[in-house]
Amino acid sequence: MSAPVTVGDGAFEPSIVAFVCNWCTYTGADLAGTSRILMADNVRIIRLPCTGRIDTLFILKAFERGADGVIVSGCHPADCHYTAGNYHARRRFAIFRELMNFVGIDPRRVTFSWVSASEGGKWAEVVNGTTEQVRQLGPFAMYPEA
Amino acid sequence: MQELRELARKLLQEKQVSAILGYEHGRMGTRPAFVTDVADCERLVFDHRCVHNLAAYLSPRRTHVAALGRLAVVVKSCDARAVAGLIRESQIKREDVVLIGVRCGGVVRDPADARPLSADNVAPRCVDCEKREPALADHLVGEPKPAPAGSGSRDARLSEIEAMSPDERLTLWTQLLAPCTRCHACRQVCPMCFCERCIAEKTQPTWIETSPHARGNLAWHLTRALHLAGRCVDCGECERACPAEIPLGLLNRKVARVVADRYGYVVADDPSRPTPIGTYQLDDAQEFIQ
Amino acid sequence: MNTKRILSRANLDALIRDLIAAGTVVVAPTHSSGQERTGVTYGQVQSPDEVLLDGPQPIRPLKEVVFPPTEALFRWRQEKSAVKIEEVPTGFKETVVIGARPCDAAGLEVVDCVMGWDFRDELWFGRRQSTTVLAMACTTCDESCFCTAVGLSPTSTRGADWFLTPVDGGFEVDVLTPKGEAVLERYKARCPETEGPAPSRTAGLEQQVRANLDVRPDRIRGWLETHFDDPLWKRVALRCHGCGACAFVCPSCHCFDIVDEPDGADNGTRRRNWDSCQTALFTLHGSGHNPRKDQTARFRQRIMHKFSIYPARFGEVLCTGCGRCVRVCAAGMDLVSILAEIDRAAQGGAET
Repeated sequence: MSAPVTVGDGAFEPSIVAFVCNWCTYTGADLAGTSRILMADNVRIIRLPCTGRIDTLFILKAFERGADGVIVSGCHPADCHYTAGNYHARRRFAIFRELMNFVGIDPRRVTFSWVSASEGGKWAEVVNGTTEQVRQLGPFAMYPEA
Repeated sequence: MQELRELARKLLQEKQVSAILGYEHGRMGTRPAFVTDVADCERLVFDHRCVHNLAAYLSPRRTHVAALGRLAVVVKSCDARAVAGLIRESQIKREDVVLIGVRCGGVVRDPADARPLSADNVAPRCVDCEKREPALADHLVGEPKPAPAGSGSRDARLSEIEAMSPDERLTLWTQLLAPCTRCHACRQVCPMCFCERCIAEKTQPTWIETSPHARGNLAWHLTRALHLAGRCVDCGECERACPAEIPLGLLNRKVARVVADRYGYVVADDPSRPTPIGTYQLDDAQEFIQ
Repeated sequence: MNTKRILSRANLDALIRDLIAAGTVVVAPTHSSGQERTGVTYGQVQSPDEVLLDGPQPIRPLKEVVFPPTEALFRWRQEKSAVKIEEVPTGFKETVVIGARPCDAAGLEVVDCVMGWDFRDELWFGRRQSTTVLAMACTTCDESCFCTAVGLSPTSTRGADWFLTPVDGGFEVDVLTPKGEAVLERYKARCPETEGPAPSRTAGLEQQVRANLDVRPDRIRGWLETHFDDPLWKRVALRCHGCGACAFVCPSCHCFDIVDEPDGADNGTRRRNWDSCQTALFTLHGSGHNPRKDQTARFRQRIMHKFSIYPARFGEVLCTGCGRCVRVCAAGMDLVSILAEIDRAAQGGAET
């Protein structure tokens, strides 16, 4: 398991993994980039065809392997490229979020969002907001010594 | 019980089924029984020690049971929910099984428990049981029984855990899951865990490590609880089967509560009601999504 | 070698404190932690107060001490085109088990045969060598116990370095092995020589256990060797869920699975984990063929391995009659009834 990332003055920099859908959020993130919006660079983006493809195991795996925070983002309801993928995902994430919280994975470490292809600004907000929130929470020790 | 035995004899004699799947008294208490001969129907019993969920034997993956042919299964109302689940998810066809519903007054936690049923030894789920006979049944036997004595909310421990901080919860669950040896008894006895190839057995890539360490155990139990969302029938078999005394019911009940609160869905023995996962409403709550 | 001594309970407590102070890992039956768990288990204790010597049988087997449910074998790291292998540090900590049940202690000796057979398992024997077992005669049993049916008893000393027999005021101590002598040397003051015979608290237990099951292992083995296709297997296996809980609580089951767990793209750990022949996956070939394709075949295998194949190879029954499989089985398989039925069938056959 990787040690928490620190920079220069030893301050903790969170590692954040983002699972985003190709059609909306990925394109929106690209727009944020081409618009030269300043964003925290703590986020690593993983592109999926649709939030419906995002298995809850992806979120768990990210935390397992050292992520301090996770972002899951896709198309707004009614805008899914595959019609209903995000509706299925919505239920799945709603339940898993509460289950994760129940076993002690702080829900503030996981951000869910709908970001469309034209919402570059919103993506920047999600990235910056999540990074700051997770920085405040500190590194995630997922396997405390029992 | 005579009513049950006579019905069983009739079903076998008329060749409506090849075998009866019910309960018998073994040396160590009640246990599942497979009866193929009319003479053996005398072994069949139903009492407060008939804890087991017999629907687990109906999965087509249990080839050695399926080889017996058409079965008549004794089901309590909780067990019937599992049969409904199997029908709903296309594992068995309604017409391929005969359901002998039993009127139940509650069961104990341990089939070897020789004491009479009382508030001290009743299975917690029985105290909350709303109807003590299955609607999904071809026959219904037994006298109507009153609700069993018992008190205390099953969810008191859930509330206690919910009141902890995330760090406290994580420490607690790491401790609770630490003795897990990944025997997968919880999965094997569960009627709704019927996948031919469980995700925990998948390699290339391995999503859920099979090793019984903290990482593997958390991944397994979280995944199983999620895969049972809207499907777990609250029969308590997983917790009873666990050789490490892990309170699995807490995870399953938490998920069931979330599903009930958010989607108004409670598992029932009606195969025509679709499951909440796999369906959606356009206006599902999304307050947690930015 | 058989030096009888008396160890008072106070001196036993002092011995435990001495061992802990010396940095020895002390394992004993103890209450499981947390409100959800009521069973007694073998666990590391930090004080004599945590030791439970007259409670029920621990729900988990002692084999965990020498054969953990998961252990790292080595770590690998790829560096350019070479792969570095790093042995996981295998310094074995000095461990003393206090209050091991005879069925658990015997289990260790029975499994020694296979662990030292065609390949010497360094991890098993490393831990065995650094573990001293102070076994204790049983003072309680229940209807699942059947140690007497497999050549053992509530007072069997197999696998024990010391054997403690409860007497009024403490324990009579039998020091049985050089390892036991070594412990005695260090802590001799705690166990003075006996002043005379003291009454035993374990009388009558052997009869109780024998009443649960009275069979002959050689007769059972004979039947197993000639009844591979007997309809008994199909009938008995119907209720088996194939969960493997029986194997995981058994003092003598020892099968394991080896897995490679990557931690990153270029490094990881190879582990071995407990496994059970009762799962479908156990004998599933890469081609998809499974020679034990249903529970009938798998359950038969379990009984045959324990009561026919292992005895044929090593002259030992791979079972110590602890009864955990009977207690833990969610489907009520009840090995005691099955062995009784086989023994009866074996006798019935002999008469014709």
